Amino acid sequence: MHSRLKPIHRFAHPSRWLIAAMGLLLPVAAQGADAPVLNPAPTRAQWAAIADQPDLSGVWAPGPLDKYVPGGPEAPQWLPDVAKQVDHLKQLDAEGRPQNIYVNCLPEGLPSSVTQNLNSVEFLVTPGRVTVLSEFDGNRLRRIWIDGRPHPADPDPTFSGHSIGHWEGQSLVVDTVGFLPEVFIPLSQGVGFPNNGGMHVEERITLTGPDTLRQDIVVHAPKVLAAPWHASRTYTRHRERNYDLAEASCRQGDFIESTDAQGNAVFVPLPKDAGGATLPPDQAVTPASTGTHP
Amino acid sequence: MTSAIRRAAVLAALALAPLAIPAQAHHSFAMFDPAKPMKFEATVQSLQWTAPHAVLWVEAGKVGGYDAGLWSLELPTSPANLAKMGWSRNSVKAGDKLIVEINPMRDGRRAGQFKRATFVGSGQVLSIGAIPGVQPPK
Repeated sequence: MHSRLKPIHRFAHPSRWLIAAMGLLLPVAAQGADAPVLNPAPTRAQWAAIADQPDLSGVWAPGPLDKYVPGGPEAPQWLPDVAKQVDHLKQLDAEGRPQNIYVNCLPEGLPSSVTQNLNSVEFLVTPGRVTVLSEFDGNRLRRIWIDGRPHPADPDPTFSGHSIGHWEGQSLVVDTVGFLPEVFIPLSQGVGFPNNGGMHVEERITLTGPDTLRQDIVVHAPKVLAAPWHASRTYTRHRERNYDLAEASCRQGDFIESTDAQGNAVFVPLPKDAGGATLPPDQAVTPASTGTHP
Repeated sequence: MTSAIRRAAVLAALALAPLAIPAQAHHSFAMFDPAKPMKFEATVQSLQWTAPHAVLWVEAGKVGGYDAGLWSLELPTSPANLAKMGWSRNSVKAGDKLIVEINPMRDGRRAGQFKRATFVGSGQVLSIGAIPGVQPPK
């Protein structure tokens, strides 16, 4: 042990002594109750069992966006105080001043990834998990653990939450908790309201025909919803290669490919208007005769 | 000032722009005016094949009250969805002459929402197809 502390000058700074002390403590903790839980290597039988489960292979293109008639039974039932704020946001949207809830390139999370997605989705089934790959503003990744694990007692809050699931006939039944409170419950791409904490999403992903799939969700958000919100999305399977998911980086559109003074390839930031539209480099500033176009 | 230094200065100025402008990606099209559509001849500079919205960059001479220069014409969706509509990053090439139809920016800047384009000569049309949920421009 003493040989690890040489040469002594490496620990001249106090923080290095702290790091050294942590190094002594960690191996002890690892041998106790906090020993790492391993994901076991998949067996041949587990791979073979997947062939007998519903076939989610291929690329799934979502059907039309849900339309919620104001006040209709399918629309989210907001708590009274929230309903007033939502009405104001809807009014701004109607006036051409949308809230633009998807403009900062942060992941949209649930339930947006089900109810507001316009792009193709893939479900990758491997032993112990289903991985959902999609594209919203950029490529998105979601993991559903189907290896029997419970939710963590105190999951790190994330955009897509912590998902566990199991098969019931043709349905993958999923339960998700651990959302960031800022994650929106969307009414459209221009209006949404944060779940404000404690959101819980129940979900059934069901193969409804040879090439059709339905995703039903029930959103529980006790801080903002007066009742659980039920929503659905349908999908059609595609095996045409022009439906394959492509790399999509949300921020790439903020730059244009150029070359620097030395002739090297570089990304150059593009100016944007207040609403996010791309502008030519010489149009960053609104013309003096602003107000309407010439 | 040599042209290389001038170019470096322009790049440096552009590099500072994001400090003042928040990153904005997937956005509404409220800044474009569907009530005042425009149609004019332009020359392709490039097709920016990026998510979440591809951008067709074209050069045009003086159009109405607009000075000659570079226009950014935003497509309504991303490369993956455009591919399903038959587009590719090679749908146009630099120098192609197009008649473009757009909804211009309300504030007068040389930018707009792409609606369709017709190749001068061949008459071939580039348009936005129907994908459920992806609405073609008004």
